[in-house]
Amino acid sequence: MAAQPKAIPIERASYLEGGGIYGWLTTIDHKRIAVLYAVTAIVMMAFGGIEAMLVRTQLMYPENNFLSAHTYNQFFTMHGLTMIFLVIMPLETGFFGNFLIPLQIGARDVAFPRLNALSYWIFLLGALTMNFGWIWGGLPNDGWFGYANLTERMYSPGLNIDFYDIGLLILGVSSVMSALNFFVTIVNMRAPGMTFMRMPMFIWSLLVTVILILLAFPALTVGLIFLFMDRYFDTHYYRVIAGASPILWQHLFWIFGHPEVYIMILPAFGMISEVLPVFSRKALFGYPMMAYSMILIAFLSYGVWGHHMFATGMGPVADATFSITSMLIAIPTGIKIFSWIATMWGGRLRFTTAYLFAIAFVLQFTIGGLSGVMHASPPIDLEQTDSYIIVAHFHYVLGLGALFAILAAFYYYWPKITGRLLNEKLGKWHFWLSVWSFNATFFPMHFLGELGMPRRIYTYAPNMGWDFWNKWETLNAYVIAVSFILFFINIYLSLTSGERASSDPWDARTLEWSVPSPPPEYNFAAVPTVISRDAFWVTKYGSVEAPGSDTGPPMTAPALVDLSKIHIPAPSLYPVFIALGLFGMGVGMIISWYRMVLIGAALLVMSAIAMCFEYPNWGEENEHMVAESFLGLDHRKVGIWSFIGSETVFFASLISTYMVYKSRSMGPFDAQILNIPLTSFSTFVLLTSSLLMVLALAAFQRNDKFWGTFWLLGTAFFGCIFLGGQVYEFGDFWLEHGMLFNSNLFSQCFYTLVGFHGFHVFIGVVWLIVMAIAGIRGKIDSRRALSVEMAGLYWHFVDIVWVVIFTLIYLMRTVKGA
Amino acid sequence: MSEHAVEHGHAPAHRVAAESHHPGAAQYIVIAIVLTILTVFEIGVYYVQVLQPVLVPLLIILAAAKFALVAMYYMHLHFDDRVFSALFLFPLSLAALILFSLILLFTYLSHHLVL
Repeated sequence: MAAQPKAIPIERASYLEGGGIYGWLTTIDHKRIAVLYAVTAIVMMAFGGIEAMLVRTQLMYPENNFLSAHTYNQFFTMHGLTMIFLVIMPLETGFFGNFLIPLQIGARDVAFPRLNALSYWIFLLGALTMNFGWIWGGLPNDGWFGYANLTERMYSPGLNIDFYDIGLLILGVSSVMSALNFFVTIVNMRAPGMTFMRMPMFIWSLLVTVILILLAFPALTVGLIFLFMDRYFDTHYYRVIAGASPILWQHLFWIFGHPEVYIMILPAFGMISEVLPVFSRKALFGYPMMAYSMILIAFLSYGVWGHHMFATGMGPVADATFSITSMLIAIPTGIKIFSWIATMWGGRLRFTTAYLFAIAFVLQFTIGGLSGVMHASPPIDLEQTDSYIIVAHFHYVLGLGALFAILAAFYYYWPKITGRLLNEKLGKWHFWLSVWSFNATFFPMHFLGELGMPRRIYTYAPNMGWDFWNKWETLNAYVIAVSFILFFINIYLSLTSGERASSDPWDARTLEWSVPSPPPEYNFAAVPTVISRDAFWVTKYGSVEAPGSDTGPPMTAPALVDLSKIHIPAPSLYPVFIALGLFGMGVGMIISWYRMVLIGAALLVMSAIAMCFEYPNWGEENEHMVAESFLGLDHRKVGIWSFIGSETVFFASLISTYMVYKSRSMGPFDAQILNIPLTSFSTFVLLTSSLLMVLALAAFQRNDKFWGTFWLLGTAFFGCIFLGGQVYEFGDFWLEHGMLFNSNLFSQCFYTLVGFHGFHVFIGVVWLIVMAIAGIRGKIDSRRALSVEMAGLYWHFVDIVWVVIFTLIYLMRTVKGA
Repeated sequence: MSEHAVEHGHAPAHRVAAESHHPGAAQYIVIAIVLTILTVFEIGVYYVQVLQPVLVPLLIILAAAKFALVAMYYMHLHFDDRVFSALFLFPLSLAALILFSLILLFTYLSHHLVL
C-alpha cells in the first residue's frame, strides 16, 4: 500500500504555476490535464495537417508519382484517424471539457481526479501506439473506418492494421473513462441551484456527448476485438469463406461511427452557444429547445447508422427506416441553427475573432448539413456514396464545422486559460484566410464528386476533367497551412508578450468568468450559489435579459473566505504507470514481444491496485460529499452504474454476433455439444454467489466484520467454482469434440462471449479477494460498506449477464437462430 | 476515488435517506429461493417435450423474471434512487434495440444475399 500522500499547499495564485515537470506528470488538476490534452492535440493536428498536405500534393496532378499508392493509403488513413480521434475529440472533450466543466458548474474539480489523469495518459499513449508505425511496421492504411475484410491478415499482412486496431482499443478505454468521469461530474457536482435548465449550453452539449461515448464506444470495442481475434487467433469474424459477413464490421463500426459524428459536433454546438450570446450581448435564444434538440439529436443518432450502409443492400424496410430517422435529425439541428440566428438578431454585435469564427461555423455547418440531408435519401446516396461529394460533406461538417467552433472557443477562452489575450489583428487574418482557404479547398469537392471522382484513389487519368479542381484544391490547402501558421505565431506572441487579460475580458455570462484569469488551483474561493441561467451575468446586471454595459462589466467584490479550508487532492504518478503498462501490452502484442506484454500487464495491475489504495480514506463513505452533491448520491455509485450501463452495450454486441452467426456456422453445432447439466450447476453456483455477496454487504452495513469477510470469501470461492466449471467445459469441447477457438463461427463466438463473461467473473474474483484481504485486516467497517456495495453491483451485473447467456446460448441451443 | 467536499449542503434529504433502506439477510434469502425455483423451472421447461412449441417465450419470461429480481433486490434498484434505474434501463433498452436490429438485418441479409 502506498504511503499516505500529503495534501498539496493551495497558496499558488494560478493553476499554471509551480510543480515543474514532475508536477505536470503527476497532476490531477482538471485545468492542467486540459492543457496537456491541448498540447498533445495541437501536436497531433500538425501531424494530421502535414498528412493532408501530402495527400493533396499527390492529387495535385493526374498520374502523379509524388507518393506511392501504399504510402498514400497510410497518409489519408492517418489524416482521418488523427483528426477525429487525436485532434477534434481531445480538443473538444479533453481540453475544453476538462477545463470548463468544473468551472462552468461551480465545482473545484471533476468527480474522479485520478481517473481524469489516467484518461489523459492513456490517451497520449494510445495516440503514440497509433503513430508507432512511423518508426516500425507502417501506419494504418485502410481508412479510418477500417472496412473488413481488407483488414484481414491475408489482405493486410503488415503491422499497419494492428496499430489501428490496438491503438483504437486503447483510445477507447481513455474515452470511456473520461466520459464516465464527466457524466458523474455534471450530474452530481453542480453548484447549488444549478438545475439542468440553468446549466450553460456547453455543459448540456457535453452531458449528451459523454452519454453517447459511454453507449457507442462498446460496439466499436467489440468490432475491434473481433478484428484482433481474426488477425491474432485466425478466427473468421469477417471472412466470407467461413460463412461470416464483412457487413458485421460495418454494423458494429457505424453503430459507434454515427454517434461519433455527434460526439464531435455536439460540443461544437455547445461552444458556439457560449460564444454567440456574449458577443451579441443577448441571452441565448430558445434555451429549452436548444437543450431538448440536443437530446433528440443524440437519441436519434443511435437509429441512423444504416445510412452509411445503403450501398450494402439492407433491403427496402431497413433503408426506409434509416432514411426517415436520418432525415428527422434535420429538425432538431434546424432548431439550433435558427436559434443561433435569432440570438444574433437584434443584438449589439462585437465582431471579435471568436465571434467571426462562430458566425462562420453556423453558415458552413449549414452547408454541410444540407448535403447530409441529401445522403439520407437512399437513391441519392447510392449515386453519391464513395464519391468526393462525401469528402466535401464531412469536411464541411467537421472541418469547417467542428474545427471552426474549436477555433471560436479557442479565441474566446484563451484569456481565461492563459491570462493573456491573443492578437485580434492576427486573429482576423487567420479567420479570413481560413474562411477563404477552407471553402476554396472543400467546396469544389462537390463538383469533383458530381464529375464522378471516387474518394480514396491515389491518382487519376488526365482526361477525366478533374485536373483543374484538384490543382485548385491543393493550392488552397496550402493556404490553410499558412492560416494555421499565423494562428501558431499568434499563440507564441501571446504567450511571450501578450496583453494581460482581466478575469472577464469579454463581459461574459457564465461562472468561469467570475474567477481570475488564469484560475487558481481551487477554482472558486467560495462555491457559488446559482439562482438563474447565465449566473455570472445575473450577478453583474441583475437579470438574464439585462442589456449589459458598453463600458465593460461592473466590478464585483472578491469573496472573503479561509482558503486554508479548501482541500485539494494530492497528485499521483500511478496514472502514468498504468498507462505505460497498457502501452507496453499493446505495442508488445503488435511487435510480438511477449515479455513486454507481461511486464506491461504486471505494471498495469500493480499500479491500478496501488492507486485504489493510495488514499488512506479509500472506500470511506464521505457524508459531506453525498450530502453536498447535487443529487445527494455518492459519486462512486453513480460512476459504477454508468459503467454497468456501458457494459450492457458491450455484451449486447457480443450476444448479437453470437445470435447472428450461430445459424451460419458449419458443425460441430451448439445443440450437439453444449452441456446443459454442467452449466445448470454453474448457474446455481453463480446465483448462490450473488446471495453470499448481498449477505456480505448486509454484514458490513451492520458493522459485522467477521461475517462480512466470511461471506466475501464465500462469494469469491463460488466465483472460482464457476470459473473452474468454465475451464472444464472449454477443455471438454477442445479434447472431446475437437472444437478449437477458430473451428467455426459457433466456436469463435461461443468462446469469445462466454470467455469475456468469464474474464469479468475473474476480475470480480480478484476484486473480492482484495476486498476480503482488506476485511481480514479490519479495514472494512460500516463506513466502508460502500466499497463492498460497489464490488457487489459489479458482481450482480456479471450474474445477470449470465442469466441472459444461459437462456439465449444454452437453453435455446436447439432453437434455430437468425 | 472522489475526494471533494463542497462547503454547503443542498442534496434533497429523501435521496440520502433512500440509500440506507436496503433489505436484510432474510429478504435476500427469500429472493435466492425464488431465483432457485425459477432456474429449476427453466431447466425443467427445457427438458419437457410438450412445451417445446412455447419454449422461447417461456424461457424469455423466466430469464426476465430472474434478471429483474437480481437487479431490483440484489442490486437494490427497487430501493435506491431512481437515477440508478435510469442509468441502467436506458442503456439496457439501447442494448435490446441493437440486438433485435442486428438479428433482423442479418435475417434479411441471409435470405437475400450470399454475404
